[in-house]
Amino acid sequence: MSALELRGVTYKYDDGTLALKDFSLLVERSEKVAIVGPNGAGKSTLLNLLAGFRMPFSGKVLIEGRELTEENADELRREVGLVFQDPDDQIFMPTVEEDVAFGPRNLGLDDIEGRVKLALRSAGIESLAKRRPHRLSHGMKKRVAIAGILAMDPKTLLLDEPTSGLDPRARAELIKLLKGMDKTMLIATHDLEAAAEMVDRVVVLNVSVVTQGTMREVVMSREVLRDAGLELPTVSKLFDMVSGMGYPVESLPVSMDQAVSEFTRVIEREAKLMGEKRGRKNRGKQRSPDGD
Amino acid sequence: MLVAHVRGHGVLREADKGEKTSWFWRLDPRAKIAGIFAFVVVTALLTTPEAVVLALASAIVLSAASGVHAKRLIIAYATAFPFIALASISIFLFSGTERGMTMLARTSSCVMPLLVLALGTDTFDLFTGLRRLKVPGMITTLLMLTFRFLLLLSDEYERMKLSRRARGFRGGRSILDKYGFRVLSSTAGMVLVRASARADRVYEGLKCKAFRKDMIPWKISSLRPVDLVFLLTLAIVATTLAIAQCGVLT
Amino acid sequence: MHVPDGLMDPLVALVGLLEFLAFISIASYIGSKKLQDKQLPRVALLCAGIFVAQMLNFPIGGGTTGHLIGGALFAILAGPALAVVGMTVVLIIQALMFGDGGITAFGLNALNMAVVAPLTGWGTYTLLVPLLGRTGMAGKNLAIGAAAWASVFVAAAACAAELAVSYAISGGTYGIAATVSIPAMLGYHAIIGIGEALITAGVIAYLWSTSEESIFSKTESRQTGTLFERITSSSTLNATLAVMVIFALALPLYFLYSSEGMDGLEKTMDDAGTQEGDALLSSPFGYGESYFAAIFAGMAGFVSVTLVALGLLRIVSSTKNRE
Repeated sequence: MSALELRGVTYKYDDGTLALKDFSLLVERSEKVAIVGPNGAGKSTLLNLLAGFRMPFSGKVLIEGRELTEENADELRREVGLVFQDPDDQIFMPTVEEDVAFGPRNLGLDDIEGRVKLALRSAGIESLAKRRPHRLSHGMKKRVAIAGILAMDPKTLLLDEPTSGLDPRARAELIKLLKGMDKTMLIATHDLEAAAEMVDRVVVLNVSVVTQGTMREVVMSREVLRDAGLELPTVSKLFDMVSGMGYPVESLPVSMDQAVSEFTRVIEREAKLMGEKRGRKNRGKQRSPDGD
Repeated sequence: MLVAHVRGHGVLREADKGEKTSWFWRLDPRAKIAGIFAFVVVTALLTTPEAVVLALASAIVLSAASGVHAKRLIIAYATAFPFIALASISIFLFSGTERGMTMLARTSSCVMPLLVLALGTDTFDLFTGLRRLKVPGMITTLLMLTFRFLLLLSDEYERMKLSRRARGFRGGRSILDKYGFRVLSSTAGMVLVRASARADRVYEGLKCKAFRKDMIPWKISSLRPVDLVFLLTLAIVATTLAIAQCGVLT
Repeated sequence: MHVPDGLMDPLVALVGLLEFLAFISIASYIGSKKLQDKQLPRVALLCAGIFVAQMLNFPIGGGTTGHLIGGALFAILAGPALAVVGMTVVLIIQALMFGDGGITAFGLNALNMAVVAPLTGWGTYTLLVPLLGRTGMAGKNLAIGAAAWASVFVAAAACAAELAVSYAISGGTYGIAATVSIPAMLGYHAIIGIGEALITAGVIAYLWSTSEESIFSKTESRQTGTLFERITSSSTLNATLAVMVIFALALPLYFLYSSEGMDGLEKTMDDAGTQEGDALLSSPFGYGESYFAAIFAGMAGFVSVTLVALGLLRIVSSTKNRE
C-alpha cells in the first residue's frame, strides 16, 4: 500500500481559476518527493488538498489506501501532517512545549510528555521548551511548527516551502534535519537546491505535471525548467558552464556532494589523461633518442 | 496611551524575571480569580468611610506584595481614572467631602486588585482559569482565539501606521477632518481584510492539530497549599471589611 | 464607557447583570448555531479588530480625543446575536487583561456596550434599509452612520440612566448626580458618535467594496417588493423588536427606582443629614425626573437621528432621481 496516491485530480478555485489539472502521483512509504514549480503552479494547493482543505475536487485521492472524502477529511488528516509555509499560522499556545503538546492532546494520545520530548529532540529545539514562540526567530518558529506536527506522529509529512524566509545557516540546518528523518515526505518548494539535497524524486508542476524523475534527470531538461520558470541549482549551472568550456561532464550534479564527486572524477580523469599523454611522450623520446 | 499600555503588557514581552518568580505570578489562576473577585465584590458594597479606608489599605498591601511593577500599575490605574474622577468630583459637589472621598477610595480599592490580577497573571492562564471555573467553552475559546489574533492585528496596525507616516499622513486635527477619517477607516478596513485571510489560515492550522472546540493546555495545575492560604487570607480580609461595614450601622 | 467597580449602586449592578445574562444566553444559543467552525476564527478576528479599534484615539478637537465602541460595526457585519457574544468577549478581555471596567459593574458595562449598542445599531440600520430605495452607496453609508451614532448615543443614555438611578436610590453614595451624568455622558457621546459614524461607515464601505467575502457575506438588503412589503419583512420586524426591547430594558430600573427610591432616599437623607450639609451644590432635578430625563434623552436621540437620516435619504434619493 502506498502512502499517497492521486489519480487525475483536478481542482478549481471559487472564481473558476484552474489550480490543478489532471494531476496523478504515487508516493511510496519512506519516499521523499519534491514538488517544484513557479509561484501559482499549484504546489501549496496540492498540499492543502491532500490535507482535506480544498474540496470539492475531481479525481481520486488515496491516503494510506483510503479514499479522501469530505466526510472523512478530519480523520484522514491525522495521517498527513501539513507544515505551513508561515509557522505563525500554526503556533497557538503561549509556550513551545504547550504548542507541541496541543496536537497530541486534541487527539487524545497517551504519554504526551514523552511525545513532546521526542518531537522537540527530533526538531533540535529541546532548549526552547519553555520559551514564548512569538519571540523566536523565523527559523526556530519553523522548527516549532514541525515539532508540533511530529508530535502527532503522522505517517506522511507535507511541507510547504520549508526553506522560505530562512537565513543560510538556518536553511542548512533544516535541510540536514529533514534529510535525516525517516518519514514519507512531500515537499513543495521552488528551492531546487534544497530539494536536491533532500529528496529522491522530483515532480515539476505547473498546474499540471510538466515532467518528473530523479533530480539529475530533471535538471538535464533545461528548457523544461526554464519554461516552468525555474532556475538550475547553482552547482548545476557551474557544471553546465564547465561543460560548455569543453570539459567532459557526464551529467549535471545537483547537490554539493554530487558536485564534489563529479569534480573529483573530472580531475582524476584529466590527471589520468595528462599522465597517459606524458607517458606516451616519454616513451616516444625513449625509442628515438637521436631523432631517427 | 492605551497603545502604550498594551505594548507594555506582559503578553508582548518575555515577562520580567522578577515578576515570573514572584509568588503571586505562580499562584493557581483559579485561586487568584476567585479570591480577588470576592474581595472586589465585597469592597463594591462598602459605604462607610472606615470600611473603605481598610479596603484601600488592603488593596495597597496586595499591590505591593504581589511584585507587580509599580510603574505599570500606575499607568493602568491612570487609564481608569477619568471615570473615577468624574464620579468622585460629582459626589463631592452634591453630597459632600466625606462622601466624595469615600467614592474615590472605594473605586480605587476595587480597581487596584483587578489591575494586579491583570498584570500579575499570564493572560492565557487567566482564560484557562475561567474555563476551569465553568465559564462556557464557546466564550473561552473565543477569548483565546481573539487573544491570539490581537498580537497579529496589533502588528499589522503598527505597520500600517508606520507606512502612513512614511507617506506624510499626520492624522486629522479634528473630527471634521474628513480626509483624516477616510484614511483611518481604510486603514482599519485594510487591516481587517488582510487579517481575515490570515484568520482562515489559522483555522486550518488549528484543524491540522485536530482542534475541535477547546484550547486548554495540557499541563493544568492543581491547588497547592499556598493557593489555599491566599484564598483564606482574602476571605479573612473580606469578612473583616463586611464586619466593619455592618458594625457601623447597627 | 467602561465603568469601574464601586461606582454603581449594587442593586442597579445586579439588575444590569441579570438583564445581561438573559441576553447573552439567548445570543449564545442563536450564535452557536450560526458559529459553525468556519465562522469561529472570523468572529474572533472581528473581536480582536474591535478591541484594537477601541484603542484608536480619534481627535474631537480642542486637544481631546474619543474612542470607538464598535457595537454597530460588529452587528452590521455579523448580525446581532454574534455581535452580542463578540462584544462580550471584547469586554472580558479588556477587564481581565487591562482592568478596564469592573467585575461587579461588568453586567452593566456589558449591557451598555455589548447589548444596547450593537442591538441599537443593528436595529437602526435594518429599519432604514427598506427605505434606502435607489440611493446607492451614499444611502447605505448614511444608514450605517446613523446606526452607529444611535448605538453610541443610546448606550450613553443607558449608562447615564444607570448612574442617575444609582445616585437616586443610594441617596448620593453611589452613582453620579443626574445634573452631571446626563449632560456629561450625552454631550460627550453625541460628539463621539459622529466619529463612530464616520469610521463605521468608512470601514464597512471599504470591506464591502474590496471583497464580497471579506469578513462575512454581505447581507443582501431586501430592495424588491413594495414599500409595505419591505417594511413588514421579518428582518425589519426583528429590528423593531430589538429597539423596543432596548428601551424596555429601562423598565426594571424604573421599578427599582420607584420601589426603593423614595423610601431609600428618605431613610438615607435622615441618616446622612449632616453630611448633606456641606454639599456645595444641590440638584435642581427631583431624583425621579433625572431618571426619566436620561431615558427620554436616549429615545429622543434615537428617534431624531433616524428622522434626520430619513430626511437626508429623501434628499439624496430625489437628487438621484433628478439626474
